[in-house]
Amino acid sequence: MRHRPPLVVVLTAAFVLSLLAGGSHGQPLSGEYKIGVLEPLTGPLAFEGKRHLEGFEIMRDMINERGGVMGKKLVFAVGDATDPTAAASETSRLIAREGVRIVTGTYSSTLCGAASEAASRQNAIYWETSCVDPRFTRRNLKNVFRTEIDGSGFGWYNIEFIAKHLVPRFNLKPNQLKIAFLSEDSSYGQGVTEAARQRAKGEFGMQEVAAEYYAFASTNDFTPIVLKFKQLNPDIVHHIARGNDAVIFWRQSREQNLPFKALVHAGATGYGSPDFGKALGADGNGPFALLEPGPGFKIEALKPDGQKIEREFREAVQKKTGSYPFGGHQLAAGGLWLLKLVLDRAKTDDLDKFRAAVLALDLPVGSSVNGWGVKFADNGQNANDRVQHYMLQWQDGQLVTVWPEEFTTVRAKWIPLGAWDQRK
Amino acid sequence: MLLAGVYALVAVGLTLIFGVMRVVNFAQGEFLMLGMYAAFWAFTLWAFDPYVTLVGAIPLFFLVGLLTYALVMRGVIRASHNVQIFTTVGLSIALQNVALVLWTGDFRFVRPWYYSMVLHFGTTAFNVSQVVAFVVALALTAALFAFMRWSYTGRVMRATAQDREAASLMGIDTDRVYALTWAIGIACAGAAGVLVAPIYPVYPTAGLQFVLLAYVVVVLGGLGDMAGALLGSLIVAGVEVGGSYVIGTAWKEVLYFMLFIAILLVRPAGLFGQRGAERLGM
Repeated sequence: MRHRPPLVVVLTAAFVLSLLAGGSHGQPLSGEYKIGVLEPLTGPLAFEGKRHLEGFEIMRDMINERGGVMGKKLVFAVGDATDPTAAASETSRLIAREGVRIVTGTYSSTLCGAASEAASRQNAIYWETSCVDPRFTRRNLKNVFRTEIDGSGFGWYNIEFIAKHLVPRFNLKPNQLKIAFLSEDSSYGQGVTEAARQRAKGEFGMQEVAAEYYAFASTNDFTPIVLKFKQLNPDIVHHIARGNDAVIFWRQSREQNLPFKALVHAGATGYGSPDFGKALGADGNGPFALLEPGPGFKIEALKPDGQKIEREFREAVQKKTGSYPFGGHQLAAGGLWLLKLVLDRAKTDDLDKFRAAVLALDLPVGSSVNGWGVKFADNGQNANDRVQHYMLQWQDGQLVTVWPEEFTTVRAKWIPLGAWDQRK
Repeated sequence: MLLAGVYALVAVGLTLIFGVMRVVNFAQGEFLMLGMYAAFWAFTLWAFDPYVTLVGAIPLFFLVGLLTYALVMRGVIRASHNVQIFTTVGLSIALQNVALVLWTGDFRFVRPWYYSMVLHFGTTAFNVSQVVAFVVALALTAALFAFMRWSYTGRVMRATAQDREAASLMGIDTDRVYALTWAIGIACAGAAGVLVAPIYPVYPTAGLQFVLLAYVVVVLGGLGDMAGALLGSLIVAGVEVGGSYVIGTAWKEVLYFMLFIAILLVRPAGLFGQRGAERLGM
């Protein structure tokens, strides 16, 4: 017969265990710490802006369960940045009226420049988590920081993937590859495309057969470009799309039977947005998008700290939304988690001390949400090679992680792309 | 080039409203957007094909037009142009935001069974939905043209356009003519919206990309002139496609706005318009 321990021993053990397990979890928080969160919540970017805000909220709750920031409960004052003008005025309002010392956001490269300028004028800290405009951190503003990769990093990664992963499977050498660049003409599209063009030509000697920019808001017909590309016969189309332009280009390429071997994109817009899959289903099989990790991602490849936070973040998103995290969730949450790490080390939002803590933070790849690492440069940009990115591919209506292969259990398909009706 | 039909249908609605009522309707694109949503919801909720929806959408948007005229436009029809412009811009922003609140900014898609079907003519391929949109839009434009030209009501509308005061003295109920004109213009935009729904994503600001070109088409063809609007739409679509192919996509807007300015320099009233069209009407 087993001997049962006395009740008092069980209760004492449970109490001690709960204290140990609590650690940072559930410890009492002394007051609140408010930051400004700026997102496009109305207007054409509203859908992505709301998703981005949802990512912030999920991570805020996780942070508060882990002791908040600087021992205080993290709370938000939210601003609506429909366009650059509203971004600037809402930033000023958050700082002047809500009294925040740190503003974070924004989904879009069209908004982050104006918002950060407004924050700079009031000597407040601007902590950007998602815009990729390369000019953002080239202004040498001491109050501006960005956790996400910049556009030139996107271009670098895309060409790395093309040269090292795709070209060998086409049985070509990089300098034999014909590549056509196509992009919407915002600072985001231009930043990514120009960086990719420079590396493709300068480092690998790829043959650039076209470089076309278009106005995203007013282009609803790609037939002339598709016909032109048909004559130029590129192996790869490098297309930075912003929204429905990805759907229209893909559909019209299919209709006109444009026979490229692969299409590569970067970012959570266009081919990186779930809308692409919703619009095309399995007809959208094939294109690649450089993003944060998606299904197929091997969490075990991360450092222990990274595994823990990534796993808990995914569970929190699943619980709240019922789905795998989307790019907007991941960018916002990844950036906010790094802000917590900095504030906990700086123990203040005084700009000089905060900045010193930012520059001192040094974590290898795999340490944080999305498998990111941290090492900020003096201009406030997190090092592109620490912000680990992943190539995802549309397979049967879902974006799955396919590269780098050490981070994923899924493999890329359709290399090269076959006939349009044989990709299912 | 097939987009010319849709541009024509939107532009004809705009030019009709301007010709008869002397009102520039800045909300025309938003009625097109509502037409796209009508097609989307009819398809999603009841599996109605967009071309079936079109049959019901034309009278529905005619009624929407009558309603918005009674609630919004009747009060400003004799006000200054500034007041009319502010009113239609306000209506445009209000409709966009109503759509955003009701249906979010999410892109939505109408995917009928033929959405990826392609017709081949020689070496050129056309999406079926684009061909249908082009043909139906041209047919509706032609029907409207015939209505204005040969029907009694059309003659009454043209008489009102030419001289509002004289028409009143001849016993024409001008308020009723304005209501009818506005409702027909809105029905054109709604029909155009239903026709493009199988081709383009549906979202609250979807109308903007069509209506900007429609304004160019209307001024190019001659304010208030329906045949001019049709020709203008073909010219704009041709320059857009040809310019994108030959010079580069980034140049297409430069090209058709340069053409636009050049034509206005040579013929200030547009290709078919008469000088002082804003006073004469159609």
